[in-house]
Amino acid sequence: MRPVAVIGTGQTRHARRRDDVSQPELVREAAVAALRDAGVRGADVEAVLISNMELFEGRALPELWVGDAAFASGKPCMKVSTGGTSGTSACIAGFHQVAAGLCDLLLVVGYEKHSEGHTQTGMALTDPFWDRAVASGALGNFALSVSQYAAERGVTEAQAAMVAVKARRNAVRNPHAHLQMPDITVDEVLASKMLAHPLRLLDMCPQSDGACAIVIASEDRARKLCPRPAWIKAAVTRHDQPYLGDLDRRLASMRTLRDAARVAYGLAGIDEPLRQLDVAEIYEPVTYAELAWYEALGFCPDGEAGRLIEDGVTSMTGELPVNPSGGVLSTNPVGASGVIRVAEAAAQIHGRAGDRQVPGASTALATGYGVYAWADAIVLGAQA
Amino acid sequence: MTRPDRPDGPLCVAADMNLSWAYASGAPMERFCARLRKRRLEALRCDACERRYLPPRPLCGNCHQRLQDWVPVADEGELVAFTVVHTPIRDGRTGEMRPSPYGMGLIRLDGADTTLNHFLSENDPDKLRLGMRVRAVWRPHLVGAMDDIVHFEVLP
Repeated sequence: MRPVAVIGTGQTRHARRRDDVSQPELVREAAVAALRDAGVRGADVEAVLISNMELFEGRALPELWVGDAAFASGKPCMKVSTGGTSGTSACIAGFHQVAAGLCDLLLVVGYEKHSEGHTQTGMALTDPFWDRAVASGALGNFALSVSQYAAERGVTEAQAAMVAVKARRNAVRNPHAHLQMPDITVDEVLASKMLAHPLRLLDMCPQSDGACAIVIASEDRARKLCPRPAWIKAAVTRHDQPYLGDLDRRLASMRTLRDAARVAYGLAGIDEPLRQLDVAEIYEPVTYAELAWYEALGFCPDGEAGRLIEDGVTSMTGELPVNPSGGVLSTNPVGASGVIRVAEAAAQIHGRAGDRQVPGASTALATGYGVYAWADAIVLGAQA
Repeated sequence: MTRPDRPDGPLCVAADMNLSWAYASGAPMERFCARLRKRRLEALRCDACERRYLPPRPLCGNCHQRLQDWVPVADEGELVAFTVVHTPIRDGRTGEMRPSPYGMGLIRLDGADTTLNHFLSENDPDKLRLGMRVRAVWRPHLVGAMDDIVHFEVLP
């Protein structure tokens, strides 16, 4: 397949509620920002991918309503709705279209307006014979898996709280981030309201209104348009079996993310991720998930994730800064969250990440996580 | 209209619906529900990998073979994960809010390889431990649905 690169990124201001704009206006805000960053016009866009979880807003066919805002009329356009992986999977679909030679310039826009719908209820509308009678939403399901993971690995509530502090302090340097908590402390996290034992309010991601877009280009266009394109070195998706109880030791095993990362690292020539990656933007809906993902992504051996966060290895000044943007823990418009991971990783390669730039970043990882155990892993690099 | 909580906010359009849906079960779940009504639990076992699936489904996710070998499952087993949820959630069938706090567990029933997520009668996390034995508490009038089991209680 042909080499492809991300040549532009754009985000809205993310907030608890963006009722100053409609859904199309929100999408337009991100799309225009990405096109401007890439130095192209709407007319240059040849195909469009939309990422959104329409059940959350209760509004069918989002690609119809926001298509014009994303410059899609008269062009190929499709939607990806795979829970938390919607955004990363839409990006991967876009990479494949350009890599296959179907087009040379493609726009991906992910968005969500949680404030306009019923997210928890949308998540409860699962299998009607089994899950609905006993559904406890993303929160309860995560808490169940965390009880297993923390016991097996010996991870403490204080170590999880350090992830919360790292994320929210990083977010202060990101003007797009929803939560801005410059003074947050571990004690404050540990004293926050218990939502589902052992998960507290500040262990969880927020629900945000927001949109994010990226411009994907073929090799020729990327070299002409972008001084430092973010080349896609690998893009891998994995799904798994349907019920929560099908996935043995879900967080500790996380076979989907482990396998996606293994394949992606192989394609990108990465043997030692902690040393060879310069920055990672990973999809961490709760603090404990970030620790579990460190292990699944090979940043440390199983059982050492707590030490990694305690030693500051993943802080902005550590060996591998994880989520300089503040991550999903600081900003979470679900349909956009995966696109944000890719956009932030690409902006680090572009050298356009502002106050959250990791100096000289040339290899970046972006991941997606959805439903119980769906996973995406994408490696971006400064060399084609 | 404006939102009730923001009388000075921008124009918003309200939408309220009260609808119902009906979903076909498929043969494996139909048989499972008929047995539930007799207070019996069964799993489907894969001939190839021998994994015993609960809830039953037509195909093995590992081997992609059709599942047809039913095996009995006990209504007690081991608690392999638990939480106590403090935030109310809307029931996906009725739209009603479920009262909180409530205990939840992943339970590996004797005779199954997958685990079952269900409610626990205990909602004090200090009284719950991984590895505890738990048993189903059935409601008096069984209808052949998953909530014929009210919750699981910790065995002494």
